[in-house]
Amino acid sequence: MPDSLIKMITIEEGASGYDLAKTVLENLPGIPVQEVKAPGKKSASTDTAMGKKTIHLLPYKGEFLKPCPGTREYICCGYQILNLGTNCPLDCSYCILQAYINQPHLRVFSNLTEGLAQAVQRIDRQPEQIFRIGTGELTDSLAIDPITRWSERLLPLFSTRKNVVLELKTKTNQVKSLLTSNYRDRIIISWSLNSPFICLHEEKMANGLKKRLEAARQCQMEGFTLGFHFDPLVQHPGWKDEYLKTLDLMADYIDPKGVIWISLGSFRFMPGLKPIIRRRHPQTCVLDGEFVTGLDGKMRYFKPIRIDLYSYIRETLEKWHSDLGLYLCMESDDVWQRSMGWSPNNTTGLSRYLDRRVLKIFG
Amino acid sequence: MEIEKNLKPRQGVVDLPDIDDSPGPYCMSFGFEPESLIASIKNVGLINPPYLIGNEDGPYMIVAGYRRIRALKVLHYERAPCLLLRKSQFSSLDCLHLNLHDNLATRRFNEVEKGMVLSRLTSLISEDEILDRYMPLLALPSHKETLLFYVRLERELEKEIKFSLAQGQLSLQVARMLLEVGSEARGGVFDLIKKLKLNINQQRQFIDYMIDISNIKRTPILDFLKEKSFKDILEKKDMNKPQKAKALLHFLRTLRYPTLVRAEETFRKRAASLGLPEGIKVSAPPYFESPLYRLEIFFRDGKELGSKLEALKGKEGLEALGNPWEEGA
Ligand code: SF4
Repeated sequence: MPDSLIKMITIEEGASGYDLAKTVLENLPGIPVQEVKAPGKKSASTDTAMGKKTIHLLPYKGEFLKPCPGTREYICCGYQILNLGTNCPLDCSYCILQAYINQPHLRVFSNLTEGLAQAVQRIDRQPEQIFRIGTGELTDSLAIDPITRWSERLLPLFSTRKNVVLELKTKTNQVKSLLTSNYRDRIIISWSLNSPFICLHEEKMANGLKKRLEAARQCQMEGFTLGFHFDPLVQHPGWKDEYLKTLDLMADYIDPKGVIWISLGSFRFMPGLKPIIRRRHPQTCVLDGEFVTGLDGKMRYFKPIRIDLYSYIRETLEKWHSDLGLYLCMESDDVWQRSMGWSPNNTTGLSRYLDRRVLKIFG
Repeated sequence: MEIEKNLKPRQGVVDLPDIDDSPGPYCMSFGFEPESLIASIKNVGLINPPYLIGNEDGPYMIVAGYRRIRALKVLHYERAPCLLLRKSQFSSLDCLHLNLHDNLATRRFNEVEKGMVLSRLTSLISEDEILDRYMPLLALPSHKETLLFYVRLERELEKEIKFSLAQGQLSLQVARMLLEVGSEARGGVFDLIKKLKLNINQQRQFIDYMIDISNIKRTPILDFLKEKSFKDILEKKDMNKPQKAKALLHFLRTLRYPTLVRAEETFRKRAASLGLPEGIKVSAPPYFESPLYRLEIFFRDGKELGSKLEALKGKEGLEALGNPWEEGA
């Protein structure tokens, strides 16, 4: 994300005193700054651009580190989400954040230092638990890193803790500050991948596939452990051939032995997102598939289609390497069995499987 | 709004032909049924005089009381007692306020009328003020998105569609979907809804399928509506309207969800081919999402249950049941 795309900084009451606010201001010299009140509900944006050119600094009042909510009906990976901000400068057509239209702008939590201190306390109190932490759930982990310098704060903090891995998930090639950092241990840099067609048409603002993989290769060569996420898998014309192109490219760029895990998840969405996607991305193909109401109320592909998607990607990936830590994101035991040939049975089982991957790679 | 004492309206009797009874800039009435008001005026006369604005000798514009003036005209009244406001003393916003509060005191606005209120207000006051003060008055959430939706509803939807919405024949959700359909195709979609008398649920499904299929096929809805398959269903002589509605929705569902519909049909065929005894039913979970199928046995007493279970035990071909997309299930 070129920082030149940011046209405005708004600072909410109580946000300016924190050091992260200073970092942002320093990294965006010359960008107009405006002090604003905490917006109420009424200030919902209907701007189709969702205010993605404005960085909004605010103090976050909730917990920075929270377990991924998951659902009872599907198997969750037991991930912990580190909330650094919400919204994202990229504009993927399928992005769930579009549903949070009440909260426009790239919202960056300025009290990060305080939030991290709290999070670390919690982590240190439970030394027996492995915390698999990610920052890429409500934003791209690295897209605005040149502005926020999140990675400079996070890497030293988590790299030195033995019961943590930190995963930074991105669709960009913003890895400069990672490469200049001294920290590698317990840090996973992950890329969301998709077919070239989906990358081109549905992830318009993200870096292209090759750029992402080049950045991944660079990180791998510099000693970082890698992760990949095929999420959302989208059924589109010629999807098998299209995904094969991506898998071939991966094989060209990446050494599979340095990959901790690869997740597969098919496109799913709350029903309310559909009209928003239609309005914001009229040309999209992501809504074309046969979506049915899942057990958690989200729309997901009809089961045999999901099984087909996962089976194909799994089989192809396994031809490349047999030990990639493949797993499904938010799927049922039934779908696991039928597409992966085994199942962790439940969230505890999947958490254990992923913890074992952590132990295997990082000890 | 309070009318200042020195600006109090003047009472007068106005000839009805001097009143412009087209729905002017302050009118917030839409889709009303005048019968009950006509009956009331017939019985007890006009209780509340309408508010009019204009110059001394007219013509007058209705500020509040549009329905009353219309009713009086239907009843062939020649003149009516009115409250007269001077143009020079009342701004458009004052008039709008007056109408709004006059209405709020006596009735609830329908959705189109809410759109009319908001649409008029947007040209007179700031968005923030509308969100803060007026949306709650209309029992609407103070969201910008809601405001814009209501304004679009009023400005973009065709009169006939608005009328159906005001009458409760279309839901607000369907109106929202019709806005997304776009103006070229909207008339065609709405005609079909009317022609087949689709209920609210069917309307929603119908539009949803139409939007999806047109996107998938990359064919404009209007062209899609002209396809022969539609005509064939609509012209079926041996079907009544509800049957045609069902057939149309089934046809669209088959196009939209080919794999799912195929699976449902295969399952149905397989279940039927088992020839289960009467009172025993097997069914698939919704959309086959849960892995668990369902068996229902209806029985009068334990003896009957026993014999049904026995019959079931001996049934051949049960292994054919299962996920219909799997070979040999
Ligand atoms: S990168 Fe992720 S968070 Fe950003 S727009 Fe795309 S899906 Fe949304």
